[in-house]
Amino acid sequence: MPLPLAAASLAPGLTLAMTGIVKTFPGVRALDAADLDIRAGEIHGLVGENGAGKSTIIKILGGVYARDAGDILANGEVLAGGAAADMHAIGIRIIHQELNLVDHFTVAESVFLGQERTDRFGGLAKRRMRREAEAFLRDVLECPLDGQTLIRDLGIAERKLVQIAAALIDGKARLVVFDEPTAPLAAAETGRLFNAIRNLKARGVSILYVSHYLGEIVDICDRVTVFRNGRHVAVLDAPNPTRTDEIITWMIGRQLDDLYPAAAVRTADGIEAEPSFAVERLGDGRSFADVSFSLAKGEIFGIAGLIGSGRDELVDGLYGLRPPATGRVTRAGRPIRLDPALAVQSGLVLVPRDRRRDGLVLDLAVTDNINLASLDEVSTAGFRRERRANARATRLADLLDIRPRSVGTRAGLLSGGNQQKVVLGRWLAAEAEIFLLDEPTIGVDIGARAEIYRLVRELADGGATVIVSSGDAAELIGLCDRIAVLVRGKLVEIVRCGEISVDGLIARTTDAAGQRVAS
Amino acid sequence: MTAFALPRFVAPLLRHSLILILIALLVFFSIQAPAFTAPTNLLTILESSAVLLIVALAMTLIIASGGIDLSVGVAIDFGAVFALIALKDFGAPWYVAIFAALAGAALVGAFNALLIVGLGIRPFLATLGTFFIGSSIQRIYTDGGGPIAFRRMEQGFRDLAAGNIAGIPMEIVIAAVVLVGYYLLLERTNFGQRVHAIGLQPRAARVAGIRVGRHVAVVFILAAASCALGGVILAATLRQFTPLAGQSYLLDAIAATFIGASIHPRLRPNVPGTLLGVLFLGVVANGLNLLGLDFNLKSALSGLILVGALALAGLRGRAG
Repeated sequence: MPLPLAAASLAPGLTLAMTGIVKTFPGVRALDAADLDIRAGEIHGLVGENGAGKSTIIKILGGVYARDAGDILANGEVLAGGAAADMHAIGIRIIHQELNLVDHFTVAESVFLGQERTDRFGGLAKRRMRREAEAFLRDVLECPLDGQTLIRDLGIAERKLVQIAAALIDGKARLVVFDEPTAPLAAAETGRLFNAIRNLKARGVSILYVSHYLGEIVDICDRVTVFRNGRHVAVLDAPNPTRTDEIITWMIGRQLDDLYPAAAVRTADGIEAEPSFAVERLGDGRSFADVSFSLAKGEIFGIAGLIGSGRDELVDGLYGLRPPATGRVTRAGRPIRLDPALAVQSGLVLVPRDRRRDGLVLDLAVTDNINLASLDEVSTAGFRRERRANARATRLADLLDIRPRSVGTRAGLLSGGNQQKVVLGRWLAAEAEIFLLDEPTIGVDIGARAEIYRLVRELADGGATVIVSSGDAAELIGLCDRIAVLVRGKLVEIVRCGEISVDGLIARTTDAAGQRVAS
Repeated sequence: MTAFALPRFVAPLLRHSLILILIALLVFFSIQAPAFTAPTNLLTILESSAVLLIVALAMTLIIASGGIDLSVGVAIDFGAVFALIALKDFGAPWYVAIFAALAGAALVGAFNALLIVGLGIRPFLATLGTFFIGSSIQRIYTDGGGPIAFRRMEQGFRDLAAGNIAGIPMEIVIAAVVLVGYYLLLERTNFGQRVHAIGLQPRAARVAGIRVGRHVAVVFILAAASCALGGVILAATLRQFTPLAGQSYLLDAIAATFIGASIHPRLRPNVPGTLLGVLFLGVVANGLNLLGLDFNLKSALSGLILVGALALAGLRGRAG
């Protein structure tokens, strides 16, 4: 097939060697002398746990962050700068996880947004843009679309391809970075994306493919770099499904130490004999469906799943922030209405994943945040009693070792770990019985993490039911009694922690076997 | 962004600068116009600020909850007209008339609550709609906007504006009661605490189990009802209902609330600040009047004070 159109041409692939890249943020060394070596025309995979430094290196490649130290060689030449314009100029294009498309723009308008073709009078060359967009989508990405179609009428995979076309239409892309490209896609749609990516490779473009889904990584990549704690720990040639265990071992690379407290011995029968909280065929009609499990008093129950697995939506649904469409939740056998205020009244509480937005009122003092959900208990006839409020807040701050000790400090000024303790303190004040912890240790330093784990275990040993939703497999294994595995909105199995390794759990959530759950 | 650094002593100065400017204005006016400091004149300032204070306090509650109310004028007018209907058409005693006023204005607030909480319309647009609808109702009711006079008003009602307690004009007493009520509500009750949380971070408030919608509805109804007291004072003073009279308080009330917020360490709407803002505007109006300056200057000066206060607050934010 002839390809006479300029739009369908692509520049030759880039060889990129990054060595000793360092990037430090206050209190965190996100990249610690990391190497990443991408050959011309290959699909190079990048994997690692949350916090391993993957997104930091993507942001350095995009020029969002400047590296503190380290060299970048592009086709053998030292790259002095690192600004967004420099990275763009050498042909690096980032396909971000978020689509960022305007719903009521057409395909052609979206592809050329910000790089519109003009005619010789300076007007928009609409017909030409439409033709070029259609040709690029058809010939390079194998996605024949009408350029006049509105984005909102496209499927998610097609939108992803439009996003890719927009990044590559100028024909100067030489290294394309895909950041979790399949996260929003249903199983059947990933094939189209892979075809497009293989097509780009066939045309000589270099590709960096970043994904949590190890099944995809071994499927599509020529080589894989594994990051751990801000460093490269391994580069694997010719990955294939038999090597996923090896990749997982590299990703974790450590034994579970005494970060996690020991669990009280509990038998499986004990858990099912005393159900305190049961979820029956819960679904929101979009992100998760048909989720059922039942929990006992004193149990810590984990929910594992990747970004886009429906884990966040399930948590929001259980708390009533986004009421589920189907199914029901029962408390001691009786169905409950899912609504945050009712939940708090009945002792079901949420420690949200975005604590600065949803967990705390940052401008209010620690004491106000701790008392916020149970103000009536520190007041008389609706009038606040400062002394009682402060006394209770101080008692909880002492119990939880919240620093600084002064409960008059604004919550926004506390560190992540202390903020999380304030949220927990609020629910202790409200005498909650079922704790829903969503990513409880994101942005929490290691010391405070151990304290939070100990606290959670104490809550459970004291008879509370705890649900922990986390993307950190080690955390779930270390903390929970049982773990539900969500893959693309389906609860595929519930595993007992004694019976599974971190590798095994990651293999299940990452769908390493490649058996995608049809949706 | 690199902000220019400010010396350390500047921050406290900025924080209190508005009070310093108010004192400077008082000194300036008392030198320039000796009549300014006469006790009767100072009382006049307070008296003429009473209605604005009531409306501005209602606005403070609403802005603290994260909203805005462009229909406070309608609430004032509904308060006035419901009181007059009770007095004139039903011969009701003054306290029933007040109750009618509160109920009439609460209807306006309830309509706002329905739009904002029930239908999810943003407060700015919802109350703009209420303003249009309410204004039109008044025009229709008065056959085009003419005032409805009621000369033989019951003395008990008349005293709400013309009377006094121990020499203090009744309007000031009413405004002071409302002031104390709002202070207790916003700064001392659980309800006020929750309203502040909602205004700061509505999502966090929801996660904390606060019924955000219910609180916002109460805020709008309560604020509208308290505006009715302003309408009662207006009706009693003029012995008539003047359609759309309440509208003139809207912008001053917003200005006073934000002038007041600018003195708060965290720039939050607050009751003492709103009182200061109202007094600021009252002093400026009165002083210009006594100096015989063009009254049209008043708006310009009010605007300058507002943007000045906000600019100072911005500088303070930078000074840390």
